[in-house]
Amino acid sequence: MLLSAKQDWLGNIRGDILAGIVVAIALVPEAIAFSIIAGVDPKIGLYASFAIAVIIAIVGGRAGMISAATAATALLMVTLVKDYGLQYLLVATILAGVLQIVAGYLNLHKFMSFVSKSVMTGFLNALAILIFMAQLPELINVTWHVYALTAAGLGIIYLFPYLPVVGKILPSPLINIIALTAFVYFLGIDVRTIGDMGELPDTLPIFLWPDVPLNFETLQIVLPYSLSIAVVGLLESLMTANVIDELTDTTSDKKRECKGQGIANIGSGLMGGMAGCAMIGQSIINVKSGGRGRLSAMTAGVVLLILVVFLSDILKIVPMAALVAVMIMVSIGTFNWTSLLELKTNPKSASIVMISTVVVVVWTHNLAFGVFTGILIGALFMAQRLSQFMYIESDYDEATDTRSYNVVGQIFFNSSDKFINLFDYKEAIDKVVIDVHRAHFWDITAVAALDKVVIKLRREGADVSIIGLNEASETLLDKFAVHDKPEEIEKIMGGH
Amino acid sequence: MTATDKVFILACLDGSELSNAVIEQAIFLAKNSQFPIKFLHTIEHSHNSKQVHHEGTITPNMTENLLNDLSNEERIQSKQLIADGKTLLNNATQKAEKAGLSNTIAKQRHGSLLEALQDLEQEIAVVILGAKGEDHHGEKKGLGSQLEQAIRVSHKPLLIVKKPFVAPQNLMLAYNGSPTSKKALDLIRQNDFSTQLANIHIISVEKNIEAAQLLIDEATKVLSSANCIVKGQAMTGEPVQVLTEYQQQHNIDLTLMGSFSHGKIHGFMFGSFTTQMLLESANNFLLLR
Repeated sequence: MLLSAKQDWLGNIRGDILAGIVVAIALVPEAIAFSIIAGVDPKIGLYASFAIAVIIAIVGGRAGMISAATAATALLMVTLVKDYGLQYLLVATILAGVLQIVAGYLNLHKFMSFVSKSVMTGFLNALAILIFMAQLPELINVTWHVYALTAAGLGIIYLFPYLPVVGKILPSPLINIIALTAFVYFLGIDVRTIGDMGELPDTLPIFLWPDVPLNFETLQIVLPYSLSIAVVGLLESLMTANVIDELTDTTSDKKRECKGQGIANIGSGLMGGMAGCAMIGQSIINVKSGGRGRLSAMTAGVVLLILVVFLSDILKIVPMAALVAVMIMVSIGTFNWTSLLELKTNPKSASIVMISTVVVVVWTHNLAFGVFTGILIGALFMAQRLSQFMYIESDYDEATDTRSYNVVGQIFFNSSDKFINLFDYKEAIDKVVIDVHRAHFWDITAVAALDKVVIKLRREGADVSIIGLNEASETLLDKFAVHDKPEEIEKIMGGH
Repeated sequence: MTATDKVFILACLDGSELSNAVIEQAIFLAKNSQFPIKFLHTIEHSHNSKQVHHEGTITPNMTENLLNDLSNEERIQSKQLIADGKTLLNNATQKAEKAGLSNTIAKQRHGSLLEALQDLEQEIAVVILGAKGEDHHGEKKGLGSQLEQAIRVSHKPLLIVKKPFVAPQNLMLAYNGSPTSKKALDLIRQNDFSTQLANIHIISVEKNIEAAQLLIDEATKVLSSANCIVKGQAMTGEPVQVLTEYQQQHNIDLTLMGSFSHGKIHGFMFGSFTTQMLLESANNFLLLR
């Protein structure tokens, strides 16, 4: 344990520190942009990014993952900030952290298995769209200078990496910021700058309890926001953890990550920062830059704070256009473009799940609602599909005037009507035998359906007998004790 | 099926300078016991890519592209490591065959040595491993980073190889009356191999010489029935220093000890006695638990 902790921290010192610096540079414009989305001063997002990155480095469950202020959580705060102000946001952040710790203890991370690939794609696409939409206010009702600057910024971001040598060493988003700032400053062009958007940090953050009355009314105000933030934060964090697990071919402690996100948010709230979570894009940049250990997230947080505290005078004159260019890059990069091509090739149900996730998110600005919608629709499709796995063979024996039905397949709420309708109630016969030993009754709706069939047949004057009900009902229990016993599962699911 | 069909002398090879000594030690042990050898090579992935990009841009399909790059890179590394390991294992099994051992098994696994030891625990009679692995090549002193953990996780005897192999002549038992050191006595008493040794030294280092002599008397009594030359020595002083000096003076080839009597925290704070011994001595060790 101690040794693996050592490995997590010191196993890759050089790589982690270099990657941490790259991430810190990339984090600054994002933290500022997300503060603007939430409607607070840039320093709120910057303090949050520092606090969260540093705390999660220590208490997180996934080494090498980067957490900070994010768009996903910022989007949820907009109305809270507008209606009640910053202090309530800080309380909501702390409460979201508490909820996440509780979620960690309740093992809620296990519910991630319900989030299908389509929902995840929808989540990312929706996030990309929302980040892009959040840039629009900076691009509407502005002079042509802003468009020219933004276009130039995008040009630098995408073309600079093609330059030999320097293109591979220096982060192009940083070059974009430096170049546009210098250009605007020396030519004295009058465009909006980051300094116009609110206060930047000029000191280190200090611990401070939010200035709000601690009563039931406050709880009522912040709880819905805290819940949304907690859910969305954990969703994005666990999704990102999975991505990093896959990229690095290692495992992570999801329960610890949930609790860690909670602790990080509490710390952020107390240091005057907004809520955040893991960032998919930044975490991948970290891995790509060679970051693997906890030291990378720690470095990112510390370097970010040093950068903004010492460079706040320079940051103030960075034109918004440079920031918008960076965020458009983030948006384009986050969007899963192949998913558009796959709309043609993927099953329609998968596409519907993905698109409905996107639509609900863009509509509500709440990623949690989109994910729930996606999960729900996905589950309905699954039920629809499973109910096709059922048929009834029937056989008539003239000598005894007996009709025998042989039921095979899955019977549950969605297939029970179909099951009932597969019997022939118009036939006038003496005896009916229903053999269900190759069927699986998944819920009480299935049992009720069988009762209904029996009653209907009896009404028509037939003697009904049922074979193999015990075997068919084995799937009725909520929990089978067979999860890890192949022979038990084979007994239930295989041909009896 | 007897128990010995399923338990092996697990010889851990990694291509370091001590691997040859581990192979020969394993062959020697197999010839003097009823256990077959299983040579083990673990393929450890660092997962630290050498291709690093610092552009800091978020590009479309970044995850997929990065996953492709990383997995391709690791695939090539893994293939090379597997091939290297196969050569190592072939070499080892050939040596064992030449030595007249027929039922030797070679096995490759992914993951750390530690995971392998935990997973294979059931089939281990004794583990043989070098004191320092390939990562520590050229370092004069020092223990492999995984050794101390291996000592902690394994509940089986560990033979730790620190020097090129010679057939052991002089064996030393550090005896303190603990259950594991009594176990070591039994091992010596019951093993035919003991009779072939030139000398068996039993050493007790205590605060006062009387206490040490009591332990020596107790131990020599146990061994009196065994047909071997036993030399008991009661001593006082700083145990690590006394024992390592004695090893040098009497040309000890193999030292028997119990391991890690103190808790993990104690060991972490003060460095455990076992670790100290392993660090200071040039001897091979058989750690019992």
